[in-house]
Amino acid sequence: MTIKLRFCALLLAMLPTIATAQDKPAIVVAVPPLATPKNVTTAAGDTGLIGRYVADVITSDLRSSPELMPIGPENARIYPYPEATAPSFSQWRTTGAKTLVTGFVQARSDGRLTIACYVHDIPGAREIARKGFVVTPAEWRRAAHRCSDAVYTQLTGRPGSFDSQIAYVAESGTRNARVKRISVMDSDGTSHRYLTAGEATVLTPRLSPDGDRLAYVSFAGGQPQLRLVDLASNEDRPLLPGNAMSFAPRFSADGTRILFAMSAGGNTDVYVANADGSALQRLTSTPGIDTAPSFSPDGRQIVFESDRSGSEQLYVMNADGSDQRRISFGGARYGSPVWSPDGDRIAFTRIAGNTLSIGVISPSGTGERVLTQGVADEGPSWAANSRELLFQHSDPSGRTGLSVVSVDGGTPRPIATPQEGSDPEWSAGGAK
Amino acid sequence: MMRRTILAAAALLALGGGSTLAAAQLLRVPPLLQVGPRGIPLPPAPITFEGLQADMVAKSGSDTVFFAGSGYGLDAAAQATLTAQARWLLANPAMRARIEGHADDRSPRDYALAIGERRANAVRDFLVLQGVPAEQLTILSWGKERPSVAGSSEMALALNRRASTVLMR
Repeated sequence: MTIKLRFCALLLAMLPTIATAQDKPAIVVAVPPLATPKNVTTAAGDTGLIGRYVADVITSDLRSSPELMPIGPENARIYPYPEATAPSFSQWRTTGAKTLVTGFVQARSDGRLTIACYVHDIPGAREIARKGFVVTPAEWRRAAHRCSDAVYTQLTGRPGSFDSQIAYVAESGTRNARVKRISVMDSDGTSHRYLTAGEATVLTPRLSPDGDRLAYVSFAGGQPQLRLVDLASNEDRPLLPGNAMSFAPRFSADGTRILFAMSAGGNTDVYVANADGSALQRLTSTPGIDTAPSFSPDGRQIVFESDRSGSEQLYVMNADGSDQRRISFGGARYGSPVWSPDGDRIAFTRIAGNTLSIGVISPSGTGERVLTQGVADEGPSWAANSRELLFQHSDPSGRTGLSVVSVDGGTPRPIATPQEGSDPEWSAGGAK
Repeated sequence: MMRRTILAAAALLALGGGSTLAAAQLLRVPPLLQVGPRGIPLPPAPITFEGLQADMVAKSGSDTVFFAGSGYGLDAAAQATLTAQARWLLANPAMRARIEGHADDRSPRDYALAIGERRANAVRDFLVLQGVPAEQLTILSWGKERPSVAGSSEMALALNRRASTVLMR
């Protein structure tokens, strides 16, 4: 009873600030510790303790979403194992929470864990979603992120991106002799690893939608050229034959094709190929620079950057290169466009005067909005929910790092990296 | 354009401190002629690779040309420098050179690579039009990866929009 009272008091204290911070009040989600049928010691700790950790991670994940207000395990009622699937709704109804996340952590005879989570609608007293995963004890965190995705998707109708990866370039050394390494980490900052050793300058890592391959630009061959690395085997090879300069890679949403820019005969144009580099096809042929292509989520259109008009602007064309039309008329220069996963917006880098900022525009060219006021913010990448953008932020001293901004604007939040970071990309999904 | 470089360098000198090194490099002061008794030049020292690059710089005025704004056009000063570079390359036909194009950091990453290549191509094409065999030249775009001057002042941006002729071993 004491615990319940503390829980209510906390809700009362926090609700008004949330309600005034946005149009709709946040949905209150109770995330008590997951139960365990039997407390068993595993490599990652006792199953009861892992149940607590999983609830902590879900709470932390959901807290980054303005539509949701998670109440974590430290303030929630502890329930017995049978209530994971059949909660005592009358107990939860008094708390003010509308949604309840329960679950359990169970040790299996093969040494792995079953981690299950259930999402319940408290007023309706019914289960609305469930997820179950069999993982090694070391992988409990990924199961937790996938529970978060299930809760988020159920409550907002949009795909979650808690179980996802961020690829970026880790930077060290002096400005004119930068050491750059392709790096990948889980979006919560864990499982950080370097994919290249730093001998060659590398740029713009782009993950395939299933998260098992990564395309990037390397100067290793004497020219900036695309390479493709398999994340499971670490096999790393040139994407294309020949020695032409190729750069600006982006996979299609289904992972079967890759767009990029290539310079042949002194002219940079947009090309498409199968994701393994075969079946190369040129899509643009104007005398200007055409670069930075990005598919629409249905793969039928492509947005790209061109200076054919005399300055860099955004253009949309059909996937076969036909019907090329300019969409940016805001009086600035525009670059690095990327289509949102829901298809509704295109994010870009806007260059005006001496500043680079992040903005969004509709695919038809209406509704341009600038989201950041940075000195040098560039290279946006969408979260799977199409609500947030990850980008490279440089402060006035030239120090670069990763930041996230909402499509509704507001203050960007920094994403911590071990060193300076640039060229970030948010993968569409988690690692295999 | 050379005048602009010197002005920029002078301005950097005026700032003092850490900027003077960069400024001294930009002035590209030719090495003093080594003169023996009665004004007869001494026989040249054994030529090192570094000596060759210095010799090209001394005879051409600079190994680097600069670009106005976001374009890749060669103005009169750049053309004068490149005309002299072409003479040097024609006189040293065994030397291969790589034209390295650069962008300032106000271009997003991908466009910087493309415009750096445009600038390198513009220089290469000019040198070829002056008679330098195309086989003697290669190009490379560094995009915005190798700024010569730190910071994003107008001057730093102008000095980073450049193409350099680099002799290759």
